[in-house]
Amino acid sequence: MDKVYILGGAQTDFERNWKKEGKGMVALLKEVMADGLEDVGLSFDGIRELNKDNRVACFIGNFIAERYTDQGHLGAFLTEVDPAFYGVPSARYEAACASSSAAIDAAQAKIQAGDYDVAIVVGWELMKTVDPTVGGDFLGRAAYYEKEGKGVDLPFPKLFGRLADETLKKYPDLDEKRYMDALAQLSTINYGNAKRNPLAQTRKWFMSYGQANMRGTGTNPFVGGRLAVSDCSQVTDGAVVVVLCSEGFAKERGIKRKPIIKAYGHRVAPMLFKKKMADNKGSGYILPWTRQAVLDAYRRSGLTVEDIDVFETHDCFTSSEYAAISAFGLTEPGREYEAIESGLIAFSGKKPINPSGGLIGCGHPVGASGARMFLDIYKQVTETAGDYQVENVKNGMMLNIGGTATTNYVFVIGVE
Amino acid sequence: MNIRTVTVIGVTGTMGANVAGIFASFGNAKVYCVGRDIEKVNRTISRIVGSVRADAVAGNLIPADFSVLEQCVAESDLVFESSVERIDVKIEIAKRVGKALQPHAVSCTGTSGLSITEIASCYPEDLRCRFFGVHMFNPPYSMPLCELTPTVYTDKAVQAELRGYLKEKLYRTVVEVKDSPAFLANRIGFQFINEALQYAERYKDNGGIDYIDAVLGPFTGRAMAPLATSDFVGLDVHKAIVDNILENTQDYAHGTFIFPKFAQELVAEKKLGRKSGGGLYQLVRYDNGLIRRTVSDISTGQYRDVIPYVFPFADKMKKYIAEGDYRKAFEQLVDNYSMEAHICRHFLLDYIVYSLFAAKEVGYAIEDADDVMATGFNWCPPLAMYHALSTVADVPALIRENLPDVCEEVDIDELLAGVKPSKYDYRLYFKSGW
Repeated sequence: MDKVYILGGAQTDFERNWKKEGKGMVALLKEVMADGLEDVGLSFDGIRELNKDNRVACFIGNFIAERYTDQGHLGAFLTEVDPAFYGVPSARYEAACASSSAAIDAAQAKIQAGDYDVAIVVGWELMKTVDPTVGGDFLGRAAYYEKEGKGVDLPFPKLFGRLADETLKKYPDLDEKRYMDALAQLSTINYGNAKRNPLAQTRKWFMSYGQANMRGTGTNPFVGGRLAVSDCSQVTDGAVVVVLCSEGFAKERGIKRKPIIKAYGHRVAPMLFKKKMADNKGSGYILPWTRQAVLDAYRRSGLTVEDIDVFETHDCFTSSEYAAISAFGLTEPGREYEAIESGLIAFSGKKPINPSGGLIGCGHPVGASGARMFLDIYKQVTETAGDYQVENVKNGMMLNIGGTATTNYVFVIGVE
Repeated sequence: MNIRTVTVIGVTGTMGANVAGIFASFGNAKVYCVGRDIEKVNRTISRIVGSVRADAVAGNLIPADFSVLEQCVAESDLVFESSVERIDVKIEIAKRVGKALQPHAVSCTGTSGLSITEIASCYPEDLRCRFFGVHMFNPPYSMPLCELTPTVYTDKAVQAELRGYLKEKLYRTVVEVKDSPAFLANRIGFQFINEALQYAERYKDNGGIDYIDAVLGPFTGRAMAPLATSDFVGLDVHKAIVDNILENTQDYAHGTFIFPKFAQELVAEKKLGRKSGGGLYQLVRYDNGLIRRTVSDISTGQYRDVIPYVFPFADKMKKYIAEGDYRKAFEQLVDNYSMEAHICRHFLLDYIVYSLFAAKEVGYAIEDADDVMATGFNWCPPLAMYHALSTVADVPALIRENLPDVCEEVDIDELLAGVKPSKYDYRLYFKSGW
């Protein structure tokens, strides 16, 4: 199969509140597109040129703009960014918080099939258009809304609080205090890493292990079962562009030393959280389909966990990052705390997770998060991550989930 | 620099409380919170906790009063004085701190304008080298600027260590500035704000205060219009800053630091701004929850409703900014010959020129002006403003055309020769709303 190269891209500053700036999705898309194209050395005229021969297409990842900004038909909406997109094939992909991974997956498939030479992926979400309670209700549609979301205050924190409960239930040897300490440590690591990332939402915020482990206070109230605010990612506005290209295009343009997508994994688990938990009974893993998506990516890439130098994972809550540790194969299931306590996954550890700060530190504009992780792994592999660069990275892996780890997307990016 | 214990003096003030929060949180230091009234200090603790959104720091905060000042200082690695802005008070505190300060410790004042050298000279000779101005901005949790001022006595090695501590541990944007009145950020910021206040007086028949704010609103690269900012800070604080600069500096913009007469009268009537229930603006709240925003009419001295001015150039700029068409927005500003666009151009261009000028005078590098305005005022910093306008115009030509008087006073070519690309993205500072 043809190789798919990653040319680069751009991320907006996740600290920004676009509503406060008096700007909407048109401005968001114009800015990120301009930055993304500049990063890869493409212009709007260049897109026009490629489009004459139908060589370029756009893939939009967004979860629920219909609610947040009253807008659908988001593939076509790119024509509002610049007339250069008139006639360019473009469609929107949706898989809840894994929407932009679904867009990347479609983009790579089209390039591999030889349909297009250049694929522009845009993941975006504007979430600060409404108050957090209303937004929390919108997000409930990533679960089975009728049964798990409707009429529930902040359904997702509650569902991931249940994941924490189920983790303790599944692994009876896991001490509750040890588990909660480990979750607090995950939060501390993510906030700490975000301090090095100039585009991270929380880069100015204060978080310490003491604060993260002091749940149920005025500044760190419980939001879902045993999980508190410090265990959660925040409401974020943001967009990310990633540009992929074919091997032929890379040769034609003399593009060298760009990384490739080495593999993907894509598995879907039962929609209902209850069924998901019933489904894991035969497995050692709490989220067996997440694990399977990782295994698929290892198999397709011919790599093992030994070959992966850095990870970006979907820490929408600390309880989801905890489960990802064993899914990646960094520990046995049920013993994830070992990787946290030993410093293995810390920024300076052997297998850093989320040097960007992750969803908790960098931010989580839901439809943009998959593309953000993908771009961050690209930066790590190309040594362009600046202050959050991990040393000697040849291969990186990302895990992006939608819903309660219902959609599971994994990508491996590496140098040839 | 290993700072485990800090004493903050004057902790019940806004800055004192907020700075104590920064040391207790990012610095994870034990902080003696010293105030004149221990009851008031006790009540301040929860405010400090709230300022950094972390109950976990409460354990680091220890209330104290002036009767135990020497004991607190003797235990501290760093002392931060944030008392009232009076030289006699600061000198008295410096003398007491100087008697108890440990030889390895560092002492700082948070003054926003008084002479650091004068305060330093009140310390015993062997400790003067360990005294600095450390000027933070409100609120420091979201405004990371920290102006660091050494003196003639300064031990450069201690300064480097302190700078490292402020930057690496407290996550401050540290800019070294000279011991010059109001330092760098306020010199630039209040040149702009005070000239806006003068323009309000000059154009009082066009509307005055709200008229000028409508010309220089968020669409010109700031979160809040300049006179609304003065109202927020307080006219008394504003006056103290510009009086100090007027009295102790001399540059081409000297006249723009004269505090206008109508504003003197407001201060005399204690109409200081938001904190006193009214100043340049006044919010009127009704029982039914309705809020009316009124403004002082300079001609009559009475408050009246804020006028929703419509300036075609400004309206178009806002519309383009809302859609992310910054180039088109700046074209409206550059190619418009209405009086309002002319005033707006004057201010934005003089802001660039005066920032570069002041950076040379008070700072050490041209980028200092960018750092202080972005991280201390949250305004589009001058080099980013230059970049923004350069997308549609030849900025030096624009300056010559719009600021002929300034060009006679300063060597514009030499000043602009130092212009560099900004590390700040101008786009996020230009907002479309009010």
